[in-house]
Formats: sequence, C-alpha cells, structure tokens
Amino acid sequence: MANENRKIVDSRGTACPGPITDLSLAYRKSKVGDVIELWATDPGVKSDTKAWAEKTGNKIESVTEDKEKIVIVIRIVRR
Amino acid sequence: MSGKLSIIMFSGTADKFIPLGVLAQAAAAMDMEVNVFVTGFALMGFSKEKKDLPFPVEFQSMAPALMQGMKKNKVAPWYDMLKQAKKLGAHVYACSMMSGVMGMDKKSFNELVDDIVGAATFLQKAEGGQTLFI
Repeated sequence: MANENRKIVDSRGTACPGPITDLSLAYRKSKVGDVIELWATDPGVKSDTKAWAEKTGNKIESVTEDKEKIVIVIRIVRR
Repeated sequence: MSGKLSIIMFSGTADKFIPLGVLAQAAAAMDMEVNVFVTGFALMGFSKEKKDLPFPVEFQSMAPALMQGMKKNKVAPWYDMLKQAKKLGAHVYACSMMSGVMGMDKKSFNELVDDIVGAATFLQKAEGGQTLFI
C-alpha cells in the first residue's frame, strides 16, 4: 500500500513499560489500517508487544533487530 | 477496553512502589481497566506533603545502588508511572478507614488520588478481574 499511514514511534532508551506505553499512546490516535513502527531497546518489548497485540486484537507484521534497536511493525486492525 | 487489574497498595516502603508504577502503567497501556486501592502505610506515598519513602531496613544498604541503576536504565519514578497510568485511564482510591486512622482527608492527598472509598466499593470494582496485593 503506497499511501498507507505509517507512524514511527521512537521509544529507544525507555525502560519497561515505556515502549508499550508509547505504543498505546500512538494506538489511541490511530485509525484502522494505520501501521505503527515501534523502535525500542528494552528487550522486554518483543514479548510485551505480542501480548499487547493479542489483548487489543491487532496484528504484528514483523519483528526485526539490529545492534541499535528492535523494530516491531504493527498493523492496526481494531480500534 | 478488555480485562481488569486491581491493585491493593498496602506497603509503605519505596521499593514496593516500583512494581505499583510498572504494573499499573503496563496494564493501562494494555487497555485494561486499572483500579488502585491505597491503604495502610502506602497512604504516606500519596500525601501532599512530599516525603521520601523509607526503604525496608534489610535492603537499606542496597538502596543507593538500586537508585543509581534505575537512573542509569532510565526507569521512570513510580510517581510518573502512576501518573501516566492515570492518563491512560487508571483510577486511584484511598481507603476511607485507614485515611481516617492516619488523620488524612481529601485535602491531604496529592493529585493521584481520585476519591476516598470503602472496602466494599473497591471489592465491587475489582470483581471479575485480577487482583494484586502489594
């Protein structure tokens, strides 16, 4: 989708539950179909985002990791 | 909103306020209903007169290292975490009986406290969800 609404949420450097909170704040402003790209460094973010997505009924599209950050792409399918 | 977390905050030592902040904020971020019932010595953490909460005697020697580690890892203070949880929809209630025992009323509490309620009110709010005692 060329014109999808993609938002980067940079939560690098925050400790748990910072990343999940930043994701939640972005989620509250989002619309169905939006994509949120969450950047974080707290290792708990991977399982926490999975739990968050299951709880809120949204979809994790990818989880990638390099030396600097963990990037999780979440598609908002339920608001 | 799905699911519900209720926390009975009883302890009045600084270390126990960390999980209060973390779990309240995490649950609120999970779109859960969050209710915190403050009672006992924990009420001191919600007083308008800002006093540093004590550490338990057995962990006192470790407190400086813990605080330093928290700062280094940018862990937010419990107060900020609970404030963030409230922005996301959490509620904080002070126990009416213990407030009375400690000579505290609505004017004694800081901005975090929404209301002073009795035990039955809290139990009704907590019904059907997860409840933690800290």
